[in-house]
Amino acid sequence: MSEPLDIVILGGGTAGWMAATAFASLIPPNRCRVRLVESEKIGIVGVGEATFPEIRNFNAAVGIDEAEMMRATKAAFKLGIQFVDWGFKGSRYIHPFGVHGPVGMDHIFHHRWLRALRLGLKVDIQDYSFAAQAARDCRFELPETRRSTIDSAYSYAYHFDAGLYALYLRSVAEQRGAIRTEGKVRDIVQDPETGDVRALVLESGETISGDLFIDCSGFRSLLLGKTLGTAWKDWSKWLPCDRAWAVPSARDELSPYTRSTAMEAGWRWRIPLQHRTGNGYVFSSSFISEDEAAGALMRSLETEALGEPRLVKFQTGHRTISWAKNCVAVGLASGFFEPLESTSIYLIQVAIMELVRLLPDKRIDPRLRDEFNQRIDLQYERIRDFLILHYKLTSREDAEIWRYCGAMDVPESLARKIELFRHSAIIERYKDGLFPPTSWLSVLIGQGLIPENYSPLADGMPEERLIAHLEEFRTDIQDRVDEMLPHDRFIDRYCAAETLS
Amino acid sequence: MSRRIKQVVVVGADAPAWMAAAAFQRSLSSAGVGVRVIELPTSLRPIDVYSALPELAGFHHRIGLDEQLLFSLCKAVPITGQRFSNWSGAAPPFIHGYDRPPPPGAGLGFTQLWIKGRQKGLRTEFENFSPGAMAAKAGRAPVPTEDAELRSAFGYNIDAGAYAALLKHFATRGGVASKAATIADVETDGDRISAIILGDGERVEADLFVDTSGPQALLIGRMPGAELESWREWLPCDRMMAVSAKALRPLPAFSQISAFRQGWIGLFPLQDRTAVVAAYDSRQASDQDVLDDLPVLANLPIGGDAVVSSLAQGIRRRTWVGNCVAIGESAFSLEPLDAVQLHIAHYCISQLMTLFPAEADAFHEAALYDRIIRRLAANLRDFQAAHYKLNRRFDMPLWDACRDTAPPETLQRKLDIFAARGRLPLYDDETFQEQSWESLFLGHGLMPQSYDPRVDALPEQDHIARIQARLNDIAGLVEAMPPVDDFIASTNLQRQREAAGPG
Repeated sequence: MSEPLDIVILGGGTAGWMAATAFASLIPPNRCRVRLVESEKIGIVGVGEATFPEIRNFNAAVGIDEAEMMRATKAAFKLGIQFVDWGFKGSRYIHPFGVHGPVGMDHIFHHRWLRALRLGLKVDIQDYSFAAQAARDCRFELPETRRSTIDSAYSYAYHFDAGLYALYLRSVAEQRGAIRTEGKVRDIVQDPETGDVRALVLESGETISGDLFIDCSGFRSLLLGKTLGTAWKDWSKWLPCDRAWAVPSARDELSPYTRSTAMEAGWRWRIPLQHRTGNGYVFSSSFISEDEAAGALMRSLETEALGEPRLVKFQTGHRTISWAKNCVAVGLASGFFEPLESTSIYLIQVAIMELVRLLPDKRIDPRLRDEFNQRIDLQYERIRDFLILHYKLTSREDAEIWRYCGAMDVPESLARKIELFRHSAIIERYKDGLFPPTSWLSVLIGQGLIPENYSPLADGMPEERLIAHLEEFRTDIQDRVDEMLPHDRFIDRYCAAETLS
Repeated sequence: MSRRIKQVVVVGADAPAWMAAAAFQRSLSSAGVGVRVIELPTSLRPIDVYSALPELAGFHHRIGLDEQLLFSLCKAVPITGQRFSNWSGAAPPFIHGYDRPPPPGAGLGFTQLWIKGRQKGLRTEFENFSPGAMAAKAGRAPVPTEDAELRSAFGYNIDAGAYAALLKHFATRGGVASKAATIADVETDGDRISAIILGDGERVEADLFVDTSGPQALLIGRMPGAELESWREWLPCDRMMAVSAKALRPLPAFSQISAFRQGWIGLFPLQDRTAVVAAYDSRQASDQDVLDDLPVLANLPIGGDAVVSSLAQGIRRRTWVGNCVAIGESAFSLEPLDAVQLHIAHYCISQLMTLFPAEADAFHEAALYDRIIRRLAANLRDFQAAHYKLNRRFDMPLWDACRDTAPPETLQRKLDIFAARGRLPLYDDETFQEQSWESLFLGHGLMPQSYDPRVDALPEQDHIARIQARLNDIAGLVEAMPPVDDFIASTNLQRQREAAGPG
């Protein structure tokens, strides 16, 4: 057996420690050794963070106990995202983690719903999503997994403190053999012939050499960006926000959903954790000054601020080549999307799990690298389109940014999707990519795009039966939701970091 | 809301036409859509066979067709795989077994365990871990089981003429109107068909014309921009010869596909005979050459009913133009390999249902339909092309050229990453899932150089135990399946009892 692969992870934070945990947990020590270099002098963005249900697969794969993780990260549950004022002022909808209508009927359900709407009925699409109803009523229980019932039709994610999550994973990874080295990188040594990175030289003088380097250095992208200079694809013309102010505030209602409120020059998040609420204003510096944005954020807080707001600057886009030579970028070093749909940890997770499957030997097979890059590129592109949809689909005229976005040209892959939905209520589906048709449906409808037509297949059922079916399904959900525990009571019972009042 | 479609006219013959008509009638008549078939003269000969994948059962279920009728009326044989021989030099034959539903592909699949086992000296071939392949080897027909991991399902070899007649009977009984006719002319107005003129002079108008006329593409072929784009560089056979031979006893549960110098020959068992099909490259062999060699190639006495026809693999540059939609082989055609012919029709029909036009005067759904059908076609083309690309028959012009031709990019990616790591990227609209591609690639001798490193986390004795357990499980599974002949007999018996009624 050949010597194990020496993996060097540059940067702690969520990406670095997720990577270290995955390698240390999934690959035996005779195949790889894991080292992580981080500096306590470099801060990480430690506000509350929202996740996507896929994170549960990651935690399960590496063997993390859910309740323990939630206690350690002061986590709460998340059933979806509520969007306020996006399509038009006064609008409000939930993008739920679960289907609309009965499971397995998502190709036809919304057509039937549209037919009912045309018949003049007052039917709200959200009433037919279990996750949306539970979220709205601030209730939570774990979904039924053994049988296919009305309360098995949803999934969930977490709101947690990402800094605590990284710390928690650090303890897991170190326990499983990952070696942490404190220090800042002073120099990067490259092979003069191949350009491969051979070693990191720390300020202490210590040299850390390796076979494969994982760039988790965040926006700075020390390896892929600064050292190897891989190309950056900029998407700011479609996603114009480039700054965010973040501030925690005292805990208030523990709603099991992220709230995203459209603002004068961007949007504002509200992420409830067990012990406090995370808040932030994502904005475009072309449309508002930093000071004005900070003021708007502070004025919007519903509870007392727990500190001064902190500014994060970013650029939306990604590296089309995330893996070049023997360096792989994971997380912000690879690309950035604003946290509108909680995709950043998902993208970290996808990159890590793909890398586990495609892990090279000391001599890197370029076919593994090409496959990795192709897969990651597709993920970015599909998320990009879904995010742009939120900006594009607005009739707001009251602020410059919304007038700009409403009128902008969007990628062809998105434009045709919107047009087909507008005419025929059909949603083009894909196999690889985060957002299923039901996610698209909730945003398209929620932001005010009611299709001109629905599928003739939905005309087959007699009118009375259609109406009765819809009503029965809605009340079935409501009845079951009414039996569920309030979200805070469930957390109290399941994973409280300390007793909640 | 805009004007809805009121009238659909299906133009074509044989199974695809009646499949389309039956499906539309079933789902759309209650929505006020009328369906009429303009039935063209059949292109089937008495010797013809349809070889179908297990997915056809889902179609029958949706339209409400009783599957037992296939066995009692259409001479059907349940088929759990295709066996390939002589494609790769001295390599042993292999079976592409139908494991359904396909084992989950995203996690750490069994294939990765097998690859490592192979590197460590495991001699058992990959097909021995496929329930479908093992059922095929044992001549058994799968029956439903509770096992979530190991399942197989059968496809069918069906007498083509009998099946078409059954579907016609089923569709017309369900209310589909039809008329036997020929097409004298197609009146177009730009991108739209305004009417078709029949041989007897009748002028037929419709909101939507569905072309199921097969490779002749009588409607779509006349539409602007819908020329055929050829795939011959990857699928070289341009001639096909069909003939019948006597039935095999006991009935096998697989079709046999053997390569020969100028093409391949398939044996498709039916209840009363064996359908024999040879596909070949006319640049390498004349019809007479193949006819002379046929008994040797088939290794069976063959009948005197051989007929030849031409093949033209490729896809229409547009598969939906204006109010004309191409279904099945009118949209694209492949070789009569891998049992895909009816599947193509079935998939196109399902897509057209999902994308059934919301307006009679604007077909916003056409572009998406075209993208989907193009992806479906490219994936199936790649599957067939892989047989040729991976051949190891040296010093034969046809086969040497196939190895030397660069495959489509989509296939190249699959070959590359499979060779490197045993992974199989699937695109949208794939018919064959990981297990099928894996058995194809491995069977043709493409052995991955490395495996998923997570496999090494499994201690060696557990690894061996899991491989052994799977062999035992499959052996038990197959043991419980009835032999094909018994399965057919009991199905037909059950049918007779039901027909006789209670008491």
